Amino acid sequence: MATVEATTVRDTHRPEWVENIGGQLLALLTALGIAVLLGSVIVIAYGENPLVVYSAILSGSFGDANGLGYVLANAGPLIFSALAVSVCFKGGMFNIGVEGQFIVGMASASFAALTFTFLPAPLLVLSVLVFGVLGGMVWAAVPAILKVKTGAHEVVTTIMMNGIAASLVAWVIRGPLRYEDIGGGFNVNLRTDPFPDAAMIPDLGHFFGIASSARLSWVLPMAIVAAAVVWFIMRRMRLGYEARAVGASPGSARAAGISIGAVQVKLFLLSGALAGLVGIQQLFADQGFLPAGYEAGIGFTGIAVAFLGQNSPVGIVFAALLWGVLARGETSLQLETDVPREFIIILQGLLIMSVVVTYQVAKRRLFSRQLRRAAEVEDLHDAEASVDIEEAGEPGSSREVDR
Amino acid sequence: MPLGDFGAAIGIALTYFTIIYLTGLGGLFSERSGIVNIGLEGMMIVGTVTGSCGTAELTPELGLPWGPLAGILIGAAAGAIFASIHALATVTFKVDQIVSGVVINLVAIGVARFLSTIAFGQATQSDSGQPRMDPIDIPLLSSLPWGLGKAFDGISPMVIVAFLMVIPVWYSLYRTRWGLRLRSCGENPDAARSLGVRVSPYRYEAVLLSGALAGMAGAFLAVEVNLSWNEGQTQGLGFIALAALILSNWNPIRLMGAAFIFGFAQAIPLRLAHAPIIGAIPPEFIRMTPYVVTIVVLAGFVGKVRPPAAAGRAYEGSTGI
Repeated sequence: MATVEATTVRDTHRPEWVENIGGQLLALLTALGIAVLLGSVIVIAYGENPLVVYSAILSGSFGDANGLGYVLANAGPLIFSALAVSVCFKGGMFNIGVEGQFIVGMASASFAALTFTFLPAPLLVLSVLVFGVLGGMVWAAVPAILKVKTGAHEVVTTIMMNGIAASLVAWVIRGPLRYEDIGGGFNVNLRTDPFPDAAMIPDLGHFFGIASSARLSWVLPMAIVAAAVVWFIMRRMRLGYEARAVGASPGSARAAGISIGAVQVKLFLLSGALAGLVGIQQLFADQGFLPAGYEAGIGFTGIAVAFLGQNSPVGIVFAALLWGVLARGETSLQLETDVPREFIIILQGLLIMSVVVTYQVAKRRLFSRQLRRAAEVEDLHDAEASVDIEEAGEPGSSREVDR
Repeated sequence: MPLGDFGAAIGIALTYFTIIYLTGLGGLFSERSGIVNIGLEGMMIVGTVTGSCGTAELTPELGLPWGPLAGILIGAAAGAIFASIHALATVTFKVDQIVSGVVINLVAIGVARFLSTIAFGQATQSDSGQPRMDPIDIPLLSSLPWGLGKAFDGISPMVIVAFLMVIPVWYSLYRTRWGLRLRSCGENPDAARSLGVRVSPYRYEAVLLSGALAGMAGAFLAVEVNLSWNEGQTQGLGFIALAALILSNWNPIRLMGAAFIFGFAQAIPLRLAHAPIIGAIPPEFIRMTPYVVTIVVLAGFVGKVRPPAAAGRAYEGSTGI
């Protein structure tokens, strides 16, 4: 009896990585399917053909080079934002403050661009990037230190820091960095001085025949490099190992001699540094000044993209592209169908909700399967042991004896 | 009149109080049942657009006080329907409550725009100057001397509703079996279950109630205060309500005080910009006070707050593996 059971258990045992990747893909495809299906229901309720709508969405990005350029240009900020979220997530923390960190980073980057105008172009750009990073890190340091020193939960403190950041940046634009060269426009009070040309990130699109209006700049390669760096830190460096240990089980991490507080602060600083670069694309490759009311919501969208990419750097790059394709679909949707363009935001919401729920369900199923298998293996050992004992002529022995 | 501005500021503070208090009560029910709700802002947003739409559609048929009232109730109902997503995700599918709340806030913007295009033919606003309930003067208080009476002059009936709301909320939470059980689900769901309380239905009810109150607050903002729907009109008030809830230590009576203080902070830049001392502070710094106060309190520098013990954790059920 025992041997028969043993073979069946061994036959159904697939390698762990196959199960992981297969499970991830299955979960992702299921989530996509659910979202597309629910989206179709809305489209049909609206009296349109879902196939027409979805192909219109795709044609916006893949119809011509400029559409693709737009998607790529918008992926950069999303990658930075999602990486910032994922870094904290790996350590078991939730940084909802990416939005605040990014707008503070942009205010300090704008300060650098308007102050160090005497620097040559490469150095000025570098100082803009450094100040963006520093601004984000300073804003991320507050909730991190409060968490470690006082136990204040980072979710609430980062939400509050977002509120403070919005007011602070509004004040900066109204006060210290105000637009002084008052021209004829009606909103002259609502932005900073224009940045010098030397502070701007050069265009990248013209190498690939993409119009400069798509604003594809060197920010995208920077974001991909950042993703590679985050991968390296998380997979090949001590901080990454410690972060995963803390995220998986703080108790075991502490027992292993890891200083949890130090890891949490380091992760938050790394997260803030990445968040500080979120606005570079929009400010220094597109607009050329810091407008008031600069709450683009990319910090929150980054959370969605991080979920979609399951907090892995590679996944995040692809998730950011997918998000960009959907966003780009707004325009073509309006041109080619009667469905309002806001359908895209609904579709994005459906996608992210179904991803979150599907992964949660998948994780639980995987967990219970692993538990069951562990139990089966244990039974198997017991069974084998008792068979051995039976052969040895000690039929009365029980499990307790084996253990 | 030197105090005239002060009276006017209190009047505005009462308006903000109504929004923050109603939304905060929503958060109170949800978190007391063990479900953290950072999606309050999103639920408010859905309330603003549906409330405004309901008012615009129903006022011609129902007449004046009833049309806007129906609009506000529609906003509350829409908030509850929207909150059911949060309930389904967190209670049934046991998705992380913070994650779900973030998604709720993200989705709300899209839902609002989508509904607005259908209802008003434009994505980010409705026609301005929509009908509202007739404002009322509170007898006695509105005749206070030195201009203080301005505070109670021409206020929306909903302000009084918000003030009276504390009675049913306090009673239901602390004097009924339902409230005791709801709170026990938020403190120790395992103990509640062992005494025969079914945790999930209570959490569902609390989250739906939470959405209804936040939606009502949003509808009040759109219908009674701004007289139109505009994208972004909630201005993060849902998060300020969350801050007030923390400051109140999850208590409906103390929440009134917190909501009024934070409401007053919102009113200062609008009416007391030229007052001595206060006028010297940039309005942006006054606007950030609710957040700063909350961080200070949370960090334990002043006072001590304790959230419901089980808030944030999914209830695994008695058959948990």
